[in-house]
Amino acid sequence: MPSRTPTTKGRKTKTREQEKLPVCPLQNAAANNIRQVMDAEGKLTGDLPDPDIPPEKLLHMYETMVMVRAIDDRGWLLQRSGRVEFWIPHCGLEAVHNGATLAYEDPDWIFMGYRHPGVMLMRGVPLVQLFAQFFGRADEPFKGRRLPTLMGDRRYNIVPMTTQVGSYIPHVCGAAMGALIKGHDTKFLAIFGDGSSSRGEFHSGMNFAGVHKPPVVFICENNGWAISTPQSLQTGSATFAEKGDAYGVRNLVVDGNDALAVYSVVKEARDLGPDEGATLIEAMTYRMGYHTSSDNPDLYREQAEVDAWAAWDPLIRLRKYMERKKLWNKKKEDALWARCKEEISAAIKEAEAMDFPHPSTMFDDTFEEMTWMLEEQKAALLADLEDLS
Amino acid sequence: MNIATATADTGTTVLEAIKAGMSDAMDADSDVILMGEDVGLAGGIFRTSTGLHQRFGSKRVIDTPLDEKGIVAHGIGLALYGLKPIVEIQFSGFIHDAFEHIMFCAARYRWASGGQYSCPMVIRAPSFGGIKGGFWHSQSVEAYFVHHGGMKILCPSTPEDAYRMMLAAVQDPDPVLLIEPVPLYRSMSAKFEMDGKAATIGEAKVTRTGSDVTVVTYGPIQYEVEKAAEELATTKGYDVEIIDLRTLIPYDMDTILASVKKTGRVITVHEAPLSMGFGAELAAVIQEKAFGYLHTPIQRVAAPDVPYHFSIGDEYYRPNARRIRLAIERTMEFEF
Repeated sequence: MPSRTPTTKGRKTKTREQEKLPVCPLQNAAANNIRQVMDAEGKLTGDLPDPDIPPEKLLHMYETMVMVRAIDDRGWLLQRSGRVEFWIPHCGLEAVHNGATLAYEDPDWIFMGYRHPGVMLMRGVPLVQLFAQFFGRADEPFKGRRLPTLMGDRRYNIVPMTTQVGSYIPHVCGAAMGALIKGHDTKFLAIFGDGSSSRGEFHSGMNFAGVHKPPVVFICENNGWAISTPQSLQTGSATFAEKGDAYGVRNLVVDGNDALAVYSVVKEARDLGPDEGATLIEAMTYRMGYHTSSDNPDLYREQAEVDAWAAWDPLIRLRKYMERKKLWNKKKEDALWARCKEEISAAIKEAEAMDFPHPSTMFDDTFEEMTWMLEEQKAALLADLEDLS
Repeated sequence: MNIATATADTGTTVLEAIKAGMSDAMDADSDVILMGEDVGLAGGIFRTSTGLHQRFGSKRVIDTPLDEKGIVAHGIGLALYGLKPIVEIQFSGFIHDAFEHIMFCAARYRWASGGQYSCPMVIRAPSFGGIKGGFWHSQSVEAYFVHHGGMKILCPSTPEDAYRMMLAAVQDPDPVLLIEPVPLYRSMSAKFEMDGKAATIGEAKVTRTGSDVTVVTYGPIQYEVEKAAEELATTKGYDVEIIDLRTLIPYDMDTILASVKKTGRVITVHEAPLSMGFGAELAAVIQEKAFGYLHTPIQRVAAPDVPYHFSIGDEYYRPNARRIRLAIERTMEFEF
């Protein structure tokens, strides 16, 4: 794990309760009814069967997961050195969104959150486009208008989230209802966090999903913390998944650091028949990094908890699984990391050389056809620019 | 046009016009669907969709759970996927639970996605007072929704406008908030040809031509303005011009300015609260663009900044012909 995970320096004396060493819940997956393919060492646990993903697809996923981790490492440095304004880390969450994306076909629609750059890369979005987005440059789909990591791209059927967390839960449900109405067999995936489950939109989406049975997989990525709020302060439910019971929505909990298990349960849910409706999957994982570059987890969580989860790193587990299958070795691993870092450096260089959007473009795309009010405001801005120059 | 005398002989009511607009839009385009609470077999609580469920089936006329946020938010998803949802909020007083989805999702999707996605949908908001509804059931909510771009806001006040604006709203590439005049649903009727022709968004209408003072208004309250104008023409010989805005975003500044330059006197009338209301924006823009033409200060007639009172609101909260008449007299008799 990268060194930026928070330290315990300067922490006040622990209470007796805090003295108990935290245990990663994945360690007792069977007892906790968390579905798993492999253990911390990449060995099959005998719960879910080995999905036997064809090597080419498996490697594509693993390589993307490593690239995602490498992007996070670099994104953090870019933020701290003032080259990107804001960073939302995703370290530790690679198995959930990459495993889920692998389970979907390219024409399917994915509503991604802001910790899921692998969704873009898995579908073939060029790396430089991601960095152009991080740097707010003009030549990226959203023209520099969105905060770094709030991505998407219609050309790849990846819908940009509405920024309020969880607000897109009913949007994906509505879109899937649309596919049902039109008689299409498009499938839908949405990934949101544990905190989102407290918003009214979670209720709206699950409630409509229970009634209308749209072809959606909702992944509640339970990464342990909604900024500083732990599960115990977020809900009185034992799991986020079981909330689906109240809505008549099929649900389960999966080991979110086990890319093979995520792939398996998402694939099964995606492939359900037309009348079988939605599935709510709680993916148990852990946000190893800060909430955002504006956060300090030292204020609210223990290093020991972070360490307990580090032993279940999704990259290491999948790597060990592949090594057992003779698909991977140290030489390939080193070469992959070197390649990722090089590609990132090249993408940064290319993206940083791109132009920022022209100020007057802020008026574009508000309506399909600009109103006279916006025309006037745009003219005023242009006059102001004239005066500046 | 007849108020409170709707019969088979006098043509189509506003309610029937809205239904015909939806029905014609659904006939013309199979992507158009209607969604809301009780819109199916019940035909909506006002019966604006009676018979549509039988005609178009439960896939296109969808009874939803009781959840305004959910209705609009699922409508957004449907629109993203390429359908054209008409979503009904039973009373505009209930719309605020959906505010985030209307203003920050639907109205911003095109912009926030760099033009990749859009949310063409119609949000129906039955509004206005005079029906003994108290707050929640008599509200005028338009001012909450006019603050930033991305959504058109239409307000029909005749059967023909209701029909044609429904068609225009469905055909528009951007989300549209359709503010429907509840007090006129059954009390007004008119004969016109339901020929499938959509209104032009952004065009106001001079409903009474005059030379002394311009009253800019919208919604059913304009019929109180008419009464006042009629009375003053007889009693004082004042020649009042009335403009029905019909579209709030984007409003028709050309028609307003042409009238203001002619009369030199302006009064805005709406039944939403006074402060920061739509009339305030009109007053600001008129003085920016036509200050030299004004003979008197611009006056605003509106409701007070308090909730709509149940038992005495229709008489004392909502503006009426008497208060409007007094405002016109004050303007006409103003001395510096």
